[in-house]
Amino acid sequence: MLEIITSSISFFTLLSFFGVGAVGSLLVHKNNKNANAWSSFFAIVGSFWGVFFSIIMILRKKSLLFDLKTSIFSLFNISFHIDLLSSFFIFVISLLALFCSIYGIGYIRHYYKKYDIGVLGFFYNLFIGSLFLVVTSSNALFFLIFWEIMSIASYFLVVYDSNDESNVKAGLLYLVMTYIGTSFIILSFLLLYKYIGSFDFLVIKDSIALVPAVIKNIVFISAFIGFGLKAGIIPLHIWLPAAHPAAPSHVSALMSGVMIKTGIYMMIRLFLDILQPIPLWWGLVVLVVGSISALLGVLYALTEHDIKRLLAYHSIENIGIILLGLGSALTFYSLNLSALALLGLVAALFHTINHAIFKALLFLSAGSVINETHTRNMEEYGGLIKYMPQTALFFLVGSIAISALPPFNGFFSEWLTYQALFQGIAQMHFWTQWIFILAAGSLAFTGGLALACFVKAFGATFLARPRSKEVTHAKESALSMRLGMGSLAVLALLFGVFSGYIISLLKTIGQGLSVFKDSASAVDVSSAQIINVSNGFSVISGFGIFTLLVVITFLVIFIFKKIINNKQKECISNTWDCGTDLSPRAEITATGFSRSIVQIFSGLLKPTIQHHIEYYDDENRYLPKSRTVTLNIGNMYHTYFYQPLHLVINKLSTRARDIQNGNIDLYISYIFIALMLALLVIL
Amino acid sequence: MNLLTLQFLSQILLLSIVFLLIMKKNFSAVSAYSLQSLVVVIILLNSFFETKDMWMLLVILVMLIVKVILAPVFFIRLIRKYALAFSVSTYLSTPITLIIITILVFIAHSQKLIPLTRIVPDHQVLLSLALSSLFLSLFLIVNRKGALSQIIGILSFENSIVVFAVFANLEQSAALQLGIVFDIFIWIMIASVFISMLYKHFGTLNVSSMKNLKD
Repeated sequence: MLEIITSSISFFTLLSFFGVGAVGSLLVHKNNKNANAWSSFFAIVGSFWGVFFSIIMILRKKSLLFDLKTSIFSLFNISFHIDLLSSFFIFVISLLALFCSIYGIGYIRHYYKKYDIGVLGFFYNLFIGSLFLVVTSSNALFFLIFWEIMSIASYFLVVYDSNDESNVKAGLLYLVMTYIGTSFIILSFLLLYKYIGSFDFLVIKDSIALVPAVIKNIVFISAFIGFGLKAGIIPLHIWLPAAHPAAPSHVSALMSGVMIKTGIYMMIRLFLDILQPIPLWWGLVVLVVGSISALLGVLYALTEHDIKRLLAYHSIENIGIILLGLGSALTFYSLNLSALALLGLVAALFHTINHAIFKALLFLSAGSVINETHTRNMEEYGGLIKYMPQTALFFLVGSIAISALPPFNGFFSEWLTYQALFQGIAQMHFWTQWIFILAAGSLAFTGGLALACFVKAFGATFLARPRSKEVTHAKESALSMRLGMGSLAVLALLFGVFSGYIISLLKTIGQGLSVFKDSASAVDVSSAQIINVSNGFSVISGFGIFTLLVVITFLVIFIFKKIINNKQKECISNTWDCGTDLSPRAEITATGFSRSIVQIFSGLLKPTIQHHIEYYDDENRYLPKSRTVTLNIGNMYHTYFYQPLHLVINKLSTRARDIQNGNIDLYISYIFIALMLALLVIL
Repeated sequence: MNLLTLQFLSQILLLSIVFLLIMKKNFSAVSAYSLQSLVVVIILLNSFFETKDMWMLLVILVMLIVKVILAPVFFIRLIRKYALAFSVSTYLSTPITLIIITILVFIAHSQKLIPLTRIVPDHQVLLSLALSSLFLSLFLIVNRKGALSQIIGILSFENSIVVFAVFANLEQSAALQLGIVFDIFIWIMIASVFISMLYKHFGTLNVSSMKNLKD
């Protein structure tokens, strides 16, 4: 039975669920309910099968390699290779797709009679199916085809709510950036093909010695740009804060939780698995970019008052944290410190799955809030905990997890990332040591700022009083939506409490890569689930922390209830209001909360303030009618990177336009000149 | 036919194109084209006498009808219909045109292009002349503003290619050559129709007035 489950037939069964879900959704698109039921059913069943398939594959440490004889030319045969790393990513995709699809059943209802649900179901299933194909493809040519299917399906999901013009613009930006990224990826694959003569990843890996070092470096740079763009590294991230909020929330959760991780998957596959041996600077570049992305990502998140954009910026931050783990792994491995490299990789993989869980949870919770309030502006929320208590709880769990507080999962993966960086500080010398010190500092800063950001997000959204009428009309989300969010919240806790078990599984997955075959690991997990780094350098236990917290909580409650408040009489009275009526205007806003932090980082964020006063009498200007204060944050990437780039491209385009001036004689003269030059050069 | 005669014919071809580059009247241009087409037919006839291929004779006959008789007739009717006695101006002045002609002929005869002109060592002079004709035909298309001159330039280019192919012994099968001549015939008809349409729309055959079409 297990043989069948872990066979290629089982994998194609998994894909066929999404295929049937996609096509069937279109066939029943005339009826909204049927289309929703059909697409959600097949997505749920397919995802469930994916979870099951990947768990068995990982537990049995099984690897699958097969190809479809689609052409008489070996170059055009679709081939798949599902090793432990691929199985891990299948698991992440399936897990998220499962809960997002359950959530989607209730969430999609608000699109009824506004948009075609069949089209949403088609692209949703196609998107998930393409994610599986991307992480299992073993041929660069077909990998690119699957990559394109994933990009195009996600583009149509981003622009699904096409009545909002900003969504269409966001989609266009996403599409343009995607194609820029893809062109870099194509360049790297073509360079490898030139020297190896094959698009097969396994052949490339076996023959990588044929590729000169300079070409390998070019491949690294172009692949890092191409996959980094999809992952959302700074400064290539500009599409991410625009596109993720535009998509339906369960799709945003998948895009942020899983799609951007396909970039990480390919970085691991290429840099750590295929292109070995690698120079030291590759790892250091990844570390530096990771540090910058983490720090700037969270800083920009702090300035946001659009809840989904805030979460999107946190995705950039978390991709930065994942890159810190991966960068450490690459650096260690290039110095033959494979045990430490495995520690870095495990940290990266652990944060990959953790981020997928809590980010999906946060996007789904945000989606529930937006569904009820019809706005993404946090300044118009407030007091939602009264109207949506369960959603508030789920958002709180997600906030604690993303802020890396124990006992939730985010804490343990960030802790492991710290350990990898500390090992780097201990082992390295001179400037490489400084890079590790700065990376650790950046991670510490990021953690603190992320906590501040989610205090702001949770406080402005759920606490205090409602700041708009919509909030007072809000109701708790539908059952399926709460089920989706609740399951992810439980997972966020379980992945923290049982982090020891998860880490030992991730270690096995890392050892599945040929570079770590038979390699010792700097992280060990005892039978009591105690995580031990570098033989006692640092020790932690998820279950121990959880037990301690539970005991402390009960102890505090007990002390308060039985000892401090035992004989005190409970009296209920009004809050002291300084002699004025309490109103939402007395609350601190999301903008107000982050203002002091923005001031501290004003050198980076370049805040601007504009006052506008309208007077009753413009000539005398004594009695103000209204006052408006507009706060803005400068966009460093636009000012220093994209605007100059845009200017250069614009100038070149204007010059290029002169070449095409509409005169046929001129066109023929180009041909003439080209012919003469070709003759003179070739002969 | 000996080499000297062939050389003389090639020189007529080249001179006809030089004439096309500097002439002002459209009737003269058509006559020059008719003459160069006749030269091509004679060169092909020489090829027929060497091979005795009857299909080749058929090609030559069709070419004679299409290029030497029909094409000039089409053009003369167009000139009369739209009163296009004078060709529209050139981009470059006559002295500069003559300088460029000299440079192009020099390049065609230069050492750099020997790999091309020595495909058949005995025909090096002939191939150099054919190559010069090729370059000058292209220059004719580029330098003339009038649509009619450009069409004649394209046809001269085609004639030059045929002559180069014959001297380089790169002749294709008769069926293919017949197809090419048929193509040219159809092309001349379509070009004539286009010229009529362009004239009706713009009131001139100056192609530079058509550049606004791109917007």
